[in-house]
Amino acid sequence: MQLLIVEDDKPLARSLQKALRGHGFAVNHVETGSAALEALAMERPDMMIIDLGLPDTDGLTLLRTIRRSTPDLPILLLTARDTVQDKVQGLNDGADDYLSKPFDMTELLARLRVMERRLSKSGNPVLAFGDLELDTMEQKVRYKGENVETSRREYMLLKSLIETPGRVLTRAALEGRLYSWDEEISSNAIEVHVHHLRRKLDNGLIRTIRGVGYQLSEPQHNTPEA
Amino acid sequence: MSSIRRFLIFGALAVLTLFSFIAALRGYQSSMEEAETLFDAQLLDLSRLVANLETTPATRDLRLGNNLAFQVWEHDRLGSASHQAPTTPITSRVQGFEFANFGGFRWRTYTRHDEGHDRWIMVAERSDLRFLLAENIVLETVLPILLGIPVTGLLIWWVVSKGLRPLEQLSEDLQHKPAHDLTPLAASTAPRELKPVVRAINGLIGRLGAALEREKRLSADAAHELRTPIAALKVQLHNLSREIDVHSDSFQQLEEGVDRMGHLMEQLTALYRTSPEQFSEHRVQLDLYALAQETVAYWYPLFQAKGQTLELVGAPAQIRGDPFALDTLLANLISNASKYTPAHGHVQVSVKTLPGGVVELLVQDDGPGIDAAEHSRIFERFYRADHAIEGVPGCGLGLTIVQHVAELHQATVTVGSSSFKTGAAFRVVFPAEGRA
Repeated sequence: MQLLIVEDDKPLARSLQKALRGHGFAVNHVETGSAALEALAMERPDMMIIDLGLPDTDGLTLLRTIRRSTPDLPILLLTARDTVQDKVQGLNDGADDYLSKPFDMTELLARLRVMERRLSKSGNPVLAFGDLELDTMEQKVRYKGENVETSRREYMLLKSLIETPGRVLTRAALEGRLYSWDEEISSNAIEVHVHHLRRKLDNGLIRTIRGVGYQLSEPQHNTPEA
Repeated sequence: MSSIRRFLIFGALAVLTLFSFIAALRGYQSSMEEAETLFDAQLLDLSRLVANLETTPATRDLRLGNNLAFQVWEHDRLGSASHQAPTTPITSRVQGFEFANFGGFRWRTYTRHDEGHDRWIMVAERSDLRFLLAENIVLETVLPILLGIPVTGLLIWWVVSKGLRPLEQLSEDLQHKPAHDLTPLAASTAPRELKPVVRAINGLIGRLGAALEREKRLSADAAHELRTPIAALKVQLHNLSREIDVHSDSFQQLEEGVDRMGHLMEQLTALYRTSPEQFSEHRVQLDLYALAQETVAYWYPLFQAKGQTLELVGAPAQIRGDPFALDTLLANLISNASKYTPAHGHVQVSVKTLPGGVVELLVQDDGPGIDAAEHSRIFERFYRADHAIEGVPGCGLGLTIVQHVAELHQATVTVGSSSFKTGAAFRVVFPAEGRA
C-alpha cells in the first residue's frame, strides 16, 4: 500500500513514516503542496495524508486541486485546527477522513484501515467481530459459523456497528445510516431492528447504552447492569 | 486645579473685577478732583458777582439757595450778606480758598479783597452738598462699570463653556467607548489644540489593540503550535512501544506525561476559545439531550475501560446555544466525573425541562463527593480539590471552562451532593427559551 504524506513538520513526518512502515505501508513524504503535486504527477499513491497547515499552500486548496484530477484517491486530513467548521469544510472539500492533532497512532491506523478496505475491492470483504462475520460482498451475516438471515436494514445496522467497534452509536446516528432523509421512521424503528437481531444472534451481542444508543460487545464481557 | 472651567471663569472674573474697581476708583478720584475745581471756579465767579453788589438794605439779608452764603465786610461793618450768613466773619481776612464751620455745617469759602472800596468779600458753599453733588455725578459714570461685572461674568461663563465643549465631547467619547471597541477617535472634528491629544490617544489605542491582538494570537498560537510536536511525540512513543518493553515504569510514565501535556494543551485551547472576550457566537436552536447523547456515546468506551457505568436519562430539551462550546462543557463534566469516581462507579447525566421552561443538565456520580467548604473554590483556575490530586491526572482548568461556557449561555453552574449515597452533582441551569 503506497502512502504519500504531505507534512511540513519534519519530526512528525519522519516518525509517522517510521510508524506506518512498521505497519506495512510503503510511505513517501513531501513537505510542501507543490512537491506533493509533483509527486502525484510522477506516481499516484494509493492513499494520502495531508496536513492542513502547509508552508506554501493551504491544505484545503491542495485537497481541492488533487480532487479535480483524482476524485477517487483516498485522502485523510491531519490538522492542528480542531473546530467543527474546519472539519466540515475539510470533508465538504472531498477529504475521506479527518483527524486532529495530537492523535492516537491506533486511531490513525484504524482510519487508514477503513480507507484501505473501501479501496481494495479485491481484498478481504469480510468484517468480523468476535463470532460475528459480515460478508460485505454478498451482504451475508454469519454468527458462530452459521448463516443468519437478516433484513436489509438489520444488515446495515450490524454493518454500522461492526465498522466502529467499541464505539457507541447514538440512535440518531443509526437512523441517519439506515434511512434516507425523506423516509418515514417510526420512533422505535431502531429498537425493533435491535430486538429482531438479538433474537437471531446472541442476546448480549448488541448492548443498549441507556438513553444513548447501541454498541457491539463481546457477550462474555456483558455486565449485568447494561 | 480641579476644574479648568472653574479656573477660567473665576480667574477671568477676578481679573475683570479687580481692574474694573481700580479703573472705577481712579475715575472716581479724578472726577471728584475735577468737580472740586469746577465748584471752586463757580465760587470764584460768585465772589466777583457779590463784589458788584451795592450795599442797600435789600442786600442785607439776600435770599440765596441753602447751599450758598456770602458776606461783604466794609471795614468792620457787615455790609451785604445772604440770609444764612452769620453776623461774625465767616473766615479770616486772607485772600483765597479756605474751609470754615458755621450754621452747623462745613463750608468751602473764598475771600477776596475789593481794593477799590476797601471791602472784604467772603463767599461760602456747603461742602457736604458739594461733595454729594460731585459724588452723584461721578457715580453715574462709575456705576455701569460695576453693574456690568455680573453680566460680563455670565458672558465669560458662556464663552468658556463653549470653548471647553470639544474637550467635554472628547471625554464623553472616551467614557462611552465600549471596553472592546479599539477603533480610533475621529480626529477631523477636533479643534487644533486637541488634535495632538486625539492623535496621542489614537496612537495609544492602536498600540493597545496591537498588543491585545498579539497576546490573543500568542495564546491561541502557543496552544495551537503545540499540537504538532505533541502529535510527533505520540507517534514516536508508538514507535518506541514496538522496540522496548511497554510495561516498564519509565515507558508508562512517559506515555502518561505526553498524554497529560496533550490534555493541558487541549484544555488551554478550550479555555481560550470559550473565554468571553474571545468567544465568537454560533448560537443555534438545539436539543441538549441529543447533544448529551453524542457526548456520552463518545465517552462511553472510556467508562467501559474503567468498569464504570455512564447513563443518560431525561427527555429532549430545546435551548439556544453553541454546540461546540456545549460539547466542551459536557465533556469536561463527564470526564471529571469519570476521573473522580472509582472503578465500577456510576455516573448519571440527566437533561430535563423544569417547570417555567428552564433546562437543567445534571451530571452526578457516586464517588467521594466534594467538601462543601471547597464548593466555591473548585471553579477557580488551576484549583484542584484536595482529595482530587492524588493519582488523578488533570490541570485544574476543566471547571473554569465549564463556567465560561455556562456564562456564555447565561446559565448557572452549581455543585452539590448527588442523589446517590455519596458523590458530587454538577447542575447547569439554562434560562427558559426566549429569555436567553
